[in-house]
Amino acid sequence: MAKWGMVIDLEKCTGCQACSTACQMENNRLPGENYQDVLYYTEGKQPTPQLKWFPRPCMQCEEPSCMHVCPTRATYKTEDGVVLIDWNKCIGCKYCMIACPYGVRFYTDEKPLVEPNVKAVFNGDRKLSWNPPYKGPQQDAAKGIGIQPDGVVSKCTFCYHKISKAPKGTPDLDPANPELVEYVPACVRTCAPGARYFGDLDNPNSQVNRLISDKQGTRLLDHTGNKPQVYYLTGAGAAGSAVPGTRAAKA
Amino acid sequence: MEILKKAISRRRFLQVSGGSAAAGAAVVGSGGLGIGGLATLQEAQAAVGDGNTVVNKSICAQCPARCGIDVYTTNGRVHAIYGTADHPIANGKLCPKGHLGTYILYDPDRFKGPMKRTNARKGRNEDPGFVPISWDEALQTVADRLNTLRDKGESHRFALLYGRGWGASCAGLQGTFGKLYGSPNVAIGHSSLCSDGSILAKEMVDGNASYNSYDYRNANYLLIFGANFLESFRPYNNNMQVWGYIRGEKSPRTRVTAVDVHMNQTLAASDRALLVKPGTDGALALAIAHVILTEGLWDRKFVGNFHDGTNRFRTGQTVMADNFDERWTTGLVEWWNVELKDRTPQWAAGITTIPADQIVQTAREFATTRPAIALFERGAHNHSNGVYNGMAIHALNALVGSLFAQGGLAYQMGPSYGKLPVDADAFMDDYAKNGPHKGQPRIDLKGHPDGYKMAKNAIQEIAPNHLKGKPYKLDTAMFYYTNPIFSSPGAKDWEEALKDVFVIETSPFPSETAIMADLILPDHTYLERLQDAPTYPFQGYPMTQLRTPAVKPLYDTKYFGDTLIEIGKRMKGPMGEYYKALGDTENVLRHLAKGFEANPGDNGVDSFEKWKEKGVWYKKPYLWQQRDGEFYEWDGSDYRSQMSADDVKAKLLKTPSGKFEFVSGKLAGEAEWISKTTGMARERVPYIQWVEPKHTGAGDLHFITPKTAMHAEGRSANLPHAIAKMQPTVGGRREVCAELHPSVAKTKGIRDGDRIRIKSTLGEIVAVARVTELTRPDTLVLPFEHGHWAHGRWAERRGANPDEITANQSDRISGMANYYTGKVSVEKA
Amino acid sequence: MTIQAQANGPVTPVMMAGLAGLVVSLAIAFSNLMADGHAAFNTGSDGVIWGLPVVNYVFFALASTGLTLVASVAMTFGSQAWYPLAKRCVWLSLVTLVAGFASLALELGHPFRMLWAIPLNFQPTSPLNWMGLFYAVFLVLGILKFVRIHVGDWNSPASKQIGLAALVTELLAGGMLGMAFGAMAMRPMWYGTLVPLYFVLTAACTGGAFALLVTYLAYGKDAAMPDKVRSLIRGPLPMAFAALLGLTILVIGYRTLIGLWSNADGLQVWDHIVASPWFWLEAALLVGAFYLLLEKKALAAAALMVIAAFFIDRYFFVVGGQLAPLFKGAWVPELIPYSPSMTEWMLTLLAFSIVFFGWALGEKMLKLEAAPQGD
Repeated sequence: MAKWGMVIDLEKCTGCQACSTACQMENNRLPGENYQDVLYYTEGKQPTPQLKWFPRPCMQCEEPSCMHVCPTRATYKTEDGVVLIDWNKCIGCKYCMIACPYGVRFYTDEKPLVEPNVKAVFNGDRKLSWNPPYKGPQQDAAKGIGIQPDGVVSKCTFCYHKISKAPKGTPDLDPANPELVEYVPACVRTCAPGARYFGDLDNPNSQVNRLISDKQGTRLLDHTGNKPQVYYLTGAGAAGSAVPGTRAAKA
Repeated sequence: MEILKKAISRRRFLQVSGGSAAAGAAVVGSGGLGIGGLATLQEAQAAVGDGNTVVNKSICAQCPARCGIDVYTTNGRVHAIYGTADHPIANGKLCPKGHLGTYILYDPDRFKGPMKRTNARKGRNEDPGFVPISWDEALQTVADRLNTLRDKGESHRFALLYGRGWGASCAGLQGTFGKLYGSPNVAIGHSSLCSDGSILAKEMVDGNASYNSYDYRNANYLLIFGANFLESFRPYNNNMQVWGYIRGEKSPRTRVTAVDVHMNQTLAASDRALLVKPGTDGALALAIAHVILTEGLWDRKFVGNFHDGTNRFRTGQTVMADNFDERWTTGLVEWWNVELKDRTPQWAAGITTIPADQIVQTAREFATTRPAIALFERGAHNHSNGVYNGMAIHALNALVGSLFAQGGLAYQMGPSYGKLPVDADAFMDDYAKNGPHKGQPRIDLKGHPDGYKMAKNAIQEIAPNHLKGKPYKLDTAMFYYTNPIFSSPGAKDWEEALKDVFVIETSPFPSETAIMADLILPDHTYLERLQDAPTYPFQGYPMTQLRTPAVKPLYDTKYFGDTLIEIGKRMKGPMGEYYKALGDTENVLRHLAKGFEANPGDNGVDSFEKWKEKGVWYKKPYLWQQRDGEFYEWDGSDYRSQMSADDVKAKLLKTPSGKFEFVSGKLAGEAEWISKTTGMARERVPYIQWVEPKHTGAGDLHFITPKTAMHAEGRSANLPHAIAKMQPTVGGRREVCAELHPSVAKTKGIRDGDRIRIKSTLGEIVAVARVTELTRPDTLVLPFEHGHWAHGRWAERRGANPDEITANQSDRISGMANYYTGKVSVEKA
Repeated sequence: MTIQAQANGPVTPVMMAGLAGLVVSLAIAFSNLMADGHAAFNTGSDGVIWGLPVVNYVFFALASTGLTLVASVAMTFGSQAWYPLAKRCVWLSLVTLVAGFASLALELGHPFRMLWAIPLNFQPTSPLNWMGLFYAVFLVLGILKFVRIHVGDWNSPASKQIGLAALVTELLAGGMLGMAFGAMAMRPMWYGTLVPLYFVLTAACTGGAFALLVTYLAYGKDAAMPDKVRSLIRGPLPMAFAALLGLTILVIGYRTLIGLWSNADGLQVWDHIVASPWFWLEAALLVGAFYLLLEKKALAAAALMVIAAFFIDRYFFVVGGQLAPLFKGAWVPELIPYSPSMTEWMLTLLAFSIVFFGWALGEKMLKLEAAPQGD
């Protein structure tokens, strides 16, 4: 069984947010509900101010604290290494959101970021919290795929509805390969500068392991012990993208 | 309360004839066209877990770049858009806007069919009182009106204004319509609101009135002026692909210096960010040129050299012209003597505020890290001195020999289209040939000594000219993909001007133009169209792409090209015969595609059917290359057949001299008119030079209104997901913020998040302040995005429109509207 | 000496106020929740996740633990002098727990699903589960114990054992609540091995304060109190309370200092807390109450001051731990702005109303002044 992981090369990332919008449309997210987010930080003063950004999907941790705190086992880890939520079991206590060091979880039922509320414009029934006309065909509450019902927490699934159908034993889901492109997570598939790689961390011959090895892949907040399955390459040269501390926000 | 009532009544008119919405949405796109090979379809079906998924080829419509897109439709619902893998611009990728296209299809505020106005009063707060009518009535209304005008000999009083025209089957039909009908105002493009400054600058020095194509992947240095390469410079998607390659894979890594007035993503990701005083990019470029010459770093094979090889360019000292042999340039020594010898880095530092040592380092790197490209866009040329700024920057490309070189820049070739089925010239009646319209200037006075003699368009002049009745008043105006009432400088003038014009809007969205319209002839949205779109300048080789409908039109709408043809059919005389013979846009497209039979594309596209399947026709390579100061033409396998000077003049360097002109022959030809309109000494006109920008307004802050990465030329205005991501760098989420330096905020007592009043001589707008070090202390940045008073529920009443307080001043040479040259003051609101 | 059976404090006005509070808070909270759902709260995925409703819960759940502790002084640890407060405390520990649960239930996405989903899918690694389990067990034991003492069985072995078990589950529950926060290594403001102890210590303070307050509410003034009550109230209780409070002030003081001193990411919240006037109000209330207790003056006021101070403390604790943004939001502010919504405040009013209405109801109907006879 594969252990899916992602590598993000910050030397290439241009901070464009296409990963975020591709994800939002593929997974029918609300405005501002970014499973995949890009965060922006500023420091310094004129004429040498700094602007940095940081792309952040769910880290799909090996030791997911969100899973350990979930009282109903609604959050679970699949055999192929992905952290999912069973919406049929989630009680909406939001402890997982508290326990996630990376801020990647979302509660359904909140004030809209942008008015008018798209949920009101595209009303759902009781099963779905909303129902946009462009809703994708995939819907699997037990895996937290599709549009969630009210009162539950949702998160990035690594596009589980795609990757779970990939041929077994595939070392890397390379979007450039026409045989594999439909199994590639939306954010990886669309990334224009090619900053994202997706593959099997358990396969030493995968490109993701090659990159982690050659370019010293690092993990975010490794001290929390969550052991992300998302690695960042920070490269040698200057780039706008950078792994931030939260204090980078301080002017 | 009153406002609320009006809002409600306006909402209601948007709903008219919307009864069949749900039914329409359920229609399956059964014409499952263009599946890129059966394997892809099967995989798509396997992956989405539904056997009914169809993948259609289309072209994104959120910016001019024209990325190929795969549109996923399952059971009649379009639910995903991804880049087309075998499309040279998209390469399977998209920018952040591309994915949001489904919202445009399913925009709940779309017009559902043709409508006419019932309220004779017009204005921002007047409910048009639209009622649904049939297409036949709508089209006949237009035809009757046009026939009547023609009968009165006033056909010139009909204007067709267009913005984002796509190809031969829409905007491409307009010129013929104007010719057969007899109006100089059919059609007037939006290019003077767009980037004509760049086009004119290049035309003046290398003779090509066009944007460049760029070979970034082979360049080792990029010097970028006022073009936000990683946020808003086309083709954005491909730029980012290039960036990933040149910065993360290419060896050696391409170095980048970027110049702009505030810290944006391009500057942040570059090796060197230079924050320049607005309007002074030309001074910076001249100083770089000065250093290149004094330090002997120019490309001798392209530019030439002193007879004895000794560099005589010394700061402040003139040079004898006959000491220098020029190769593919002219006027270098004259230019040096008249202008460049005093344009030192120290001088430029005083003008631009960029330290002299940074200028020197940039110049050395640029000239020694070849191939090197200097590129510029609106930031550099949206000023009264825009063309001169652009010429100065473009001159750097000549100095380092990048023109037509590998890793340099060239110009775009057109597609091998076939001929239309009918020859329009055979349908010209006497009126069309010799009618009174022949003596009339264009309403925008483009090409007229009283207006903008050298401009390509001057659309921003239409409202003021109409209001003055000079040269005349318009009777009827039709709009295609443009909304100058919102986007033109001095936007409010248009609100007055359109009150006594019969307005026909073809947008499917309830735009500001629609609020002023008498007739709504709604277009399909892009995912419903069969429409061609030749490439915007990209990599030079010819390319054209095709939209195929992913679903049948959801509502009773009509493709603009067909609307035009249908109006044409209802015209009297031979004009009507022409359009009857032309048939419809599909017939047009089929004939265009016949051109591919003799010139099959690299992807095997040799017919209309293949074009629909693949979505794109392209034929590599670009046919010309300059190498070590010699020009070669592609001989079928390589760039080997050497070109004569005449060949180069005819095909590549289209100036009077057939060379790159540091002293412009074209400007010299218009020196008298330019001198008269600008006050510049006549003999100085032809020189690439520093000219002080003329700022409008009287405030203490430069007012810069850039486009953000999420700005889709107005199509993003009603996309809630785009709004939520609009200005990420400073946190403009619900609405874009006005970026303000802390020192300004402190003096004015403004805190982060406060509402501020931005005042120009035209009036004032209110915006939310973001106090940030990213923006220069002498500059206020408010992205052009919000302030709509129509355009749908998410667009309306959000933020402010900077164009309402942007004065209508244009570069006298290019006619380019000077959006970024206003000066404003701010105070706490 | 006979036991004064008659309470002459403002029980009826408190009950009416509690009832009014219940009606108002429920009406407003429900109509807002019906209209907007959870969006009626100012919490958010890229803001504060656990807002005022959770503050209410932590405050009242820990008050329940504290009240059980106070009751146990007599019932488990055998200090006869504390008997006159015991029944009142047992009753109130049940009422406060219900108040806490009520606020939490209205905050949960699926409170009813919880009832089956937790038992069927019990996740042993979740502190929240153990806390819930212990509080649930306590609720049963507490009711049993109350029934026992209500029928006069104060000291049978079974009654004693139930009391001891109730005390242990309450301590474990309060401790687990502490662990729910203290185990969060990714939030340094909360993280720490001693958080359960901090919770139990502060729980005891709020328990003592409620015990003292309702005693005054029951009798009105010292003179109206039965002798045994008066001697407890004028003697060991304020001294023990003062000692406890003094220790707690010390702990809070050091927590604050450590928070200010350390540069660990997340602890910058302390700068924000200390800059808030509410922090200084909390400090003044605690020190003022400590002084009043030492001086044995205005004890009812001292109790109120402690309650108010700890409500502020719980707010800073629960909310403060979330103010340093993790990796969320397209643009990151230094600290997340949060102020509770009207609906959230109504849940606070609801919880307080339940407590005071419930107490007054008990006072009227359940002879809360009862104590073991004839010693």
